[in-house]
Amino acid sequence: MVIGALLVLFLVLPVAALLLRGLGAQFLPTLLGPVVLDALRISLLTTSCTMLLTVVLGTPVAWLLARYDFPGKTVLDTLLDLPIVLPPVVAGVGLLLAFGRSGLLGAPLELAGISVAFSPAAVVMAQLFVAAPFYLRTAKAGFMAVDPDVEDAARTDGADRWTVFRYITWPLAFTFLLEGLVLTWARALGEFGATILFAGSLQGKTRTITLAIYSALESDLAPALVLSAVMVLVAFSVLAVVRRWGSAHTAR
Amino acid sequence: MKITLLVSTLLLSLGSAGAANLTVFAAASLTDAFADIGKAFDAKTGHTTLFQFAGSQALRTQLTNGARADVYASANSAQFDPLVKSGLLGSGQPFLSNRLAVIAPRNNDRVQTLTDLSKPGVKLVIADRAVPVGDYTRRMLSAIDKSGAYGKNFSGQFLKNVVSEEPNVRQVALKVQLGEADAAVVYSSDVTPALRPGVRVITLPTRFNQSASYPIGTLRNAASPEAAQAFVNFVLSGEGQAILKKWGFLKPR
Repeated sequence: MVIGALLVLFLVLPVAALLLRGLGAQFLPTLLGPVVLDALRISLLTTSCTMLLTVVLGTPVAWLLARYDFPGKTVLDTLLDLPIVLPPVVAGVGLLLAFGRSGLLGAPLELAGISVAFSPAAVVMAQLFVAAPFYLRTAKAGFMAVDPDVEDAARTDGADRWTVFRYITWPLAFTFLLEGLVLTWARALGEFGATILFAGSLQGKTRTITLAIYSALESDLAPALVLSAVMVLVAFSVLAVVRRWGSAHTAR
Repeated sequence: MKITLLVSTLLLSLGSAGAANLTVFAAASLTDAFADIGKAFDAKTGHTTLFQFAGSQALRTQLTNGARADVYASANSAQFDPLVKSGLLGSGQPFLSNRLAVIAPRNNDRVQTLTDLSKPGVKLVIADRAVPVGDYTRRMLSAIDKSGAYGKNFSGQFLKNVVSEEPNVRQVALKVQLGEADAAVVYSSDVTPALRPGVRVITLPTRFNQSASYPIGTLRNAASPEAAQAFVNFVLSGEGQAILKKWGFLKPR
């Protein structure tokens, strides 16, 4: 009992400290200042793009990995998990070496007039690289948890492949997908190392909440504390809502 | 070889009563020079010196919030004097000065002269306003504006070209080294032997350049005040100054 309470206290105390310091009298004026608003806007925009890309591109990959066997699958599986283990800074260097101006794809991209480094697109790419594997993992586990017999039954009743996926597989795997998406979002929101290397840090363009907190910590503590408190509140609300939604879905 | 060295250093620090473990917080621009100075100092005194390099403003925040260190070397007095005033640091003294340098990747000729920095579409990287070199960069811009030699709104156009404001000067230099930025503003001492093959230095007229003065001092709550003072003395000594000169720094003003 006592030992358990210790861990709970340890996990709760820093959060409480952030809220106590962040939600002071200067909360509202700082929140409405350009530094905080810009950072919130950039983070909201980029993580939304990252989530959308993750679902659209990640779901088919996870499904294929869960349903089919092919040569080299284990290697591919491991490669797709790699960004979870890689330090974010290494991910940033990798992205630069691949998509940067002097990188592998840099010259052709440059010729096509596309320059990704230091752009909001680079922020999304950094987030997608480090966060999408979390969705892939959980979504794959979700699809594997769906009994193929149920799908087969639907198929013998005449449902085509898309209908089976849409009305059988997707709903049954839904809680997993949701969980994966939350993990992805959380990881994307907190991304720092890859972003600062590949996208740089410029207010109103590439400076996300995390980068803004880091930069504010070095001069004016107030925006850093407010942003930290906002991060706690937003994260808590999202987790709470998703949890409710998820359990309501399973209950049905 | 390294392990023998490590073991002998450990034995040395255990054996001799006067040997101390010293923690030095130093501006990112001092990374190479202070690593050298640390080796020379340790060899001479038997102390073990550990460094933490970062933007001076980041180090100041850490010190204000309870980080333990023995010596602090900052790239400007704006990040140093407040610590003296609050009683964390003893008085400091300037130990070197530095100049700004505009650098560009060698394999990219988009920026050849100072004028090119204000051309639309050029990608520039500078340090954040809170970083000493970022502050000096902005002073340089207002000096150029004031002279009128490059048009009235040089700094406006320059700042419009900035694609990233980095947390320390070494990150700024890295973006040019990787070829991702067309030009950047760093210290002349940042054009180290490792960086030189990859970059061109663009001439910056003296009247626009800013002289950066670096202060050094010991922390009031230093774990080993004598060793800390010995380190400061070594930096100010002929031997220490020679190492700093080797790494491109100038004499203190």
